[in-house]
Amino acid sequence: MKYVDEFRDPALGEVLAGEILGLVEPGRHYKFMEVCGGHTHSIYKYGIDDLLPANVELVHGPGCPVCVIPMGRVDDGISLAHQPDVIFTCFGDMLRVPGSDGTLLDAKAEGADIRMVYSPLDALRIAKANPERPVIFFAIGFETTAPSTALTLKRAKAEGVSNFFCMCNHVTIVPPLRALLDSPDLRLDGFIGPGHVSTVVGVRPFEFIPAEYGKPISVAGFEPLDVLHAIHMILTQLKEGRCEVENQYARVVPYDGNPRALQVMSEVFELRPHFEWRGMGFISQSGLKLSEAYADMDAEIQYGVPGIRVADPKACQCGEVLKGVIKPWECKVFGSGCTPERPIGTCMVSSEGACAAYYNYGRFAREREVV
Amino acid sequence: MSRIIADAAAALAPTCDYTTGCITCGDVAIPLTVLRLDEERGLALCGDEDGNSETVETDLVAPVAPGDRLLVHAGTAIARLTEEAPE
Repeated sequence: MKYVDEFRDPALGEVLAGEILGLVEPGRHYKFMEVCGGHTHSIYKYGIDDLLPANVELVHGPGCPVCVIPMGRVDDGISLAHQPDVIFTCFGDMLRVPGSDGTLLDAKAEGADIRMVYSPLDALRIAKANPERPVIFFAIGFETTAPSTALTLKRAKAEGVSNFFCMCNHVTIVPPLRALLDSPDLRLDGFIGPGHVSTVVGVRPFEFIPAEYGKPISVAGFEPLDVLHAIHMILTQLKEGRCEVENQYARVVPYDGNPRALQVMSEVFELRPHFEWRGMGFISQSGLKLSEAYADMDAEIQYGVPGIRVADPKACQCGEVLKGVIKPWECKVFGSGCTPERPIGTCMVSSEGACAAYYNYGRFAREREVV
Repeated sequence: MSRIIADAAAALAPTCDYTTGCITCGDVAIPLTVLRLDEERGLALCGDEDGNSETVETDLVAPVAPGDRLLVHAGTAIARLTEEAPE
């Protein structure tokens, strides 16, 4: 497939891996965080970490929107799904995220009308096909997905669809990165920046990472050669004593992002004063809600939600995994109490979650090593 | 009991497969080609090389024309693709 096959060429991958080996200083340990869950998935799926020198360690960041949703928000979603006549719509992975008393799939089994959609536009179609019933879209995702929700809400308003509502859980990427960089738990040498978030926000918002924290970052695509190339770029910066934002994914990501997407987002959303993240607590200005102009479509306002804060399960160490403090297999319940089929923590739910990605791909290589 | 029913529902529902990735949740975007335009509604029918097609919101990358290559996430084109191969 064009734009894909070229970036999966094993021969080029070996060349890059060889050059990476030449860039690392023996005796120095390098720790890079891939911010985005899509990168985590690629790294495990293609065995990218197996191509890296032993002293280059990749740690997983908080960039999987399903993984960072707190249990209380899942409970709020379930309470909306149980409202009379409501058709509740959400992306597939959300269905299996545990709340404090079951998942949305459990609620569906109990009779709630919950439907999986692939896009907000699908949810709007359901609303138009069922004008007598309220349809709520459970919006989730970083800046990659938020414009899609925003456009759909604008479209619903323009077309006069009065039975379409949104429970907004969109989050922004910069505040959690800043929280991680301020965390004393973690020492990082650089970042692999989120490629598709950057198509929307651009590269500019990441300038604070080198400027204020002295860490290099390379915004990267999601194919194996993209990720290897980004690691190559970060190591080159370190070797040359540079520290800046670089754009490995320039074939897709403009430096200033997509101004139209940012404009649409600013029309439809406004920043929440704070938003809770799984394992990371409340982070200032890290979540979006519908703006006043769209308050009539805000499911939280129109229906009200319990809004109760629920503590994460004690056995679950998603917080440490999301902050890169521990590896997935170091969690007490990884692969035993918590599996993709029956997850306890959010990181095991989504394929982009570090635990699920590692469970599906990485553990086999590690098990071989252990044996 | 509800757990058993939920598991059965999970097996039947066309949920995102965690072994292949969830296109909407994981910051995943796919390259598609514009096949046909619905200019009035700001939508386009876009397809991949395997013959799959879907309706895509094109507002963020407008104007588009048949043959244009777009990067699509959650039913919305978020960027245009330009020719470039790895060096």
